[in-house]
Amino acid sequence: MISLRYQDKNTVVHQLSPLSKLAWVGSILILSLIFSNPLYILLLFLATLPLITAARIGREWASVMKLSLYLCTAIVVINVLVSYHGSHVLVEAPFRLPILGTPIITLEAILFGIVMSIKLLVIISAFTLLTFTIHPDDIMLALLKMRFPYKSVMVTSLSTRFIPCLIEDIQRISDVHKSRGLELDKGNWLQKVKNRAVITIPLLANSLDRAVQVAEAMESRAFGAGQGRTFYKEIRMTKMDIVTLVLGILPCAFGIFMRLLGYGDYQYYPTLGVINPGTLEWLVLFIMVLLLVSILFLAFARRVTSVD
Amino acid sequence: MIKLDNLTFSYNDTDKPALENINLEIEDGEFVLITGPSGGGKSTLCRCFNGLVPHFYGGAISGKAQVQGLDIRQHSTRELATKVSMVFQDPENQLVTTDVEREIAFGLENLSYSRDLIARRIEESLDTVGIVDLRLRQLSELSGGEKQKVAIASVLALHPEVLVLDEPTSELDPKGAEEVLALAERLNDELGITVILIEHRLDRVIHLVDRVIVMAEGRIIADGNPREVMGSSQIEAIGIGIPPVTRLLQKLKAHGISVDKIPLTVKEGRIILSSIIRKVRAPVLNDNKPDGSPVIRIDKLWFTYPNKTTALRDVSLTISQGEFVAVMGRNASGKTTLVKHLNGLLLPSRGRVEVDGIDTRQSSVAQLARKVGYVFQNPNDHLFADTVEEEVAFTLKNQGVGQGDIGLAVNQMLVKFDLTQYRHCYPRYLSGGEKQRVALTSVLVAQPKVVILDEPTRGMEYRLKRELMGFLNGYQKQGNIVILVTHDVETVAECADRVILLSEGRVVVDGNKRDVLSKALLFSPQINRLAQAFGKYGVADNTLTVDEMISQLT
Repeated sequence: MISLRYQDKNTVVHQLSPLSKLAWVGSILILSLIFSNPLYILLLFLATLPLITAARIGREWASVMKLSLYLCTAIVVINVLVSYHGSHVLVEAPFRLPILGTPIITLEAILFGIVMSIKLLVIISAFTLLTFTIHPDDIMLALLKMRFPYKSVMVTSLSTRFIPCLIEDIQRISDVHKSRGLELDKGNWLQKVKNRAVITIPLLANSLDRAVQVAEAMESRAFGAGQGRTFYKEIRMTKMDIVTLVLGILPCAFGIFMRLLGYGDYQYYPTLGVINPGTLEWLVLFIMVLLLVSILFLAFARRVTSVD
Repeated sequence: MIKLDNLTFSYNDTDKPALENINLEIEDGEFVLITGPSGGGKSTLCRCFNGLVPHFYGGAISGKAQVQGLDIRQHSTRELATKVSMVFQDPENQLVTTDVEREIAFGLENLSYSRDLIARRIEESLDTVGIVDLRLRQLSELSGGEKQKVAIASVLALHPEVLVLDEPTSELDPKGAEEVLALAERLNDELGITVILIEHRLDRVIHLVDRVIVMAEGRIIADGNPREVMGSSQIEAIGIGIPPVTRLLQKLKAHGISVDKIPLTVKEGRIILSSIIRKVRAPVLNDNKPDGSPVIRIDKLWFTYPNKTTALRDVSLTISQGEFVAVMGRNASGKTTLVKHLNGLLLPSRGRVEVDGIDTRQSSVAQLARKVGYVFQNPNDHLFADTVEEEVAFTLKNQGVGQGDIGLAVNQMLVKFDLTQYRHCYPRYLSGGEKQRVALTSVLVAQPKVVILDEPTRGMEYRLKRELMGFLNGYQKQGNIVILVTHDVETVAECADRVILLSEGRVVVDGNKRDVLSKALLFSPQINRLAQAFGKYGVADNTLTVDEMISQLT
């Protein structure tokens, strides 16, 4: 298993200011939410790839994507099974369900599910950048810089700090109970839920113990004493960092403007819309992608200048 | 100075006080060891020193408690933080950031120190603890011992006058433990910091401390210099793990041999013993020679984890009915990886593992569970049921045993392990030793031919250790195999028959415990190191335990 933790690989992307990267990931998140056109979503997805390559986190990204694909499959299947809208019926069930009516599988529902999945992949893909290229404590500092309250940020960062411990716990506790003859995947779904409870109870109880211990340790080191905590490390913003920060926000602003002008909408139900962007729309799309990727050019430029 | 006057404290949900009429004075610069059975109030007492009791836990407190001139009832833990610092058992659960520098800075930041001062203090602490080379490392990459040192550095940065260490070594391997204890001694010696240490394994520290306090049932039952306390006869009775050399001379004394001084170290033992020893008769050291048929066959086993580290290299072994085997070796030498192959939790990358004629690759963990029981280190990972009875029945239920048979078997086991009175209790509310017993019972109830225990004695007090080993020796006598993964040389010397020593995934030594342990430099038990010096008097150079030594000397 590859370690799913932050590693300082010291690439140009790692060296970018955490605030710029947060802004960039935020932009991707907002853009993927406001657009519904499959073409736009696909381009957003592609726009995350150059940064991931430059950050040399391809393997981590791939393993996260592999996990997410299960989720995507679930989204498509569930959407197809419960959404009976759409005009291109592919399969029709020979029975009726109360309230829902006759189950049908439509082309529209399938495509809608797929595009929603890609949206999710876009967001997850962007977030891998955040997880693997920003030092967890820097994320905390960046959030503080954005005026989030210290205690909430601290608690959030603490809970992420303990995720690897939790994964180890799950692994160990499952081993314990497998050794006692528990077969996790035996029986019907009710039995399976019960089987999971065997693991969940020790896991929760251990986590509570851990929480008390951590609280004790923090208390002993004067957590929450006095007013005005100081910070040993701070995020210093050079002029270049401010430029990259602006480049992080710019695609978002541009995208919102486009959306207001009516670009990027798409109709799924009852009949799929046509994707046929004109020259102007292609140009606009090109600018959006260019803006998204420009942060990377600047990242390289930044390294060149900082070497001098 | 710490001064407690008639201090009594009860936690909110209990009637019985956790501390009762404690009177105690600790001078500045003392190195104090606090020991005693678990549940005796050691941790509660230590938590008084920095105000976690009563402020964090809550409860009823009476009497007086002054720490460095401050009344703990008036001052919170945060205010006491620069006076008294505390380091806890589990290094994992007291580190709150992700890298070493930030971790050390954490307390200083809380106290609003300036950035320059923080930088200076970080430098200082790294130097004092001797971990300058770890400065830029991520905490997740560090070993347990290194993490514990970071934890110590992070409290030292606050310039405390008193350092309290609550079983700081119980989660560490012997090397890490040794380093942490040596560090505590140095801080006391060179910087004059008062050090208060809770510890079970006295052989590692007893010669370093100025004073020993023994606690049981919320009271201080002995308090004095180590030699006085170790010399008193009541200490052994309440089950404190005094060092084997000390125990040896105490027992000799009980046999009517006049001993003028009680030793604390092997060296002292050697000097004292040489003044009283006479020529002894030729020793007869009986060893249990198992002659059962082979149950476990491991043939040319190689194992590589998915992250490409090869943990086992060409391991071949046979273990027969009735054997008690200790698997030893440094951390990451492949011990746990090896035993996880025996019940199919891991499957060979190359080679073959056969248990009772079944190839583990042809079977499932659930099927192998009928033949191989596995007790993990932390009983908390085992316990999930609402009652002890259900917990014990669970293993049998998984194996599809009939309801009536389950009831019968569970009853028998509860009686045998003295758990009948807890039958309807919630397992997690039991004490540490009882929990361990429930976990063990829940595994042994299925009568597996092989039982594996992974580090069962780590951080365990002496009395419970003896009790556990008693159960295991009994189980072995019924013709079963017991396999112990452990660092605990003394326990192995007492209980095992055979020792398998692993290094870098290979078996380096495999043989009778007497051969392995008496020829090892690092791995030999205290008594053996003592016996080596008296070969010319006829003492067998492969003597391992106190009782064997006594039988030769009297």
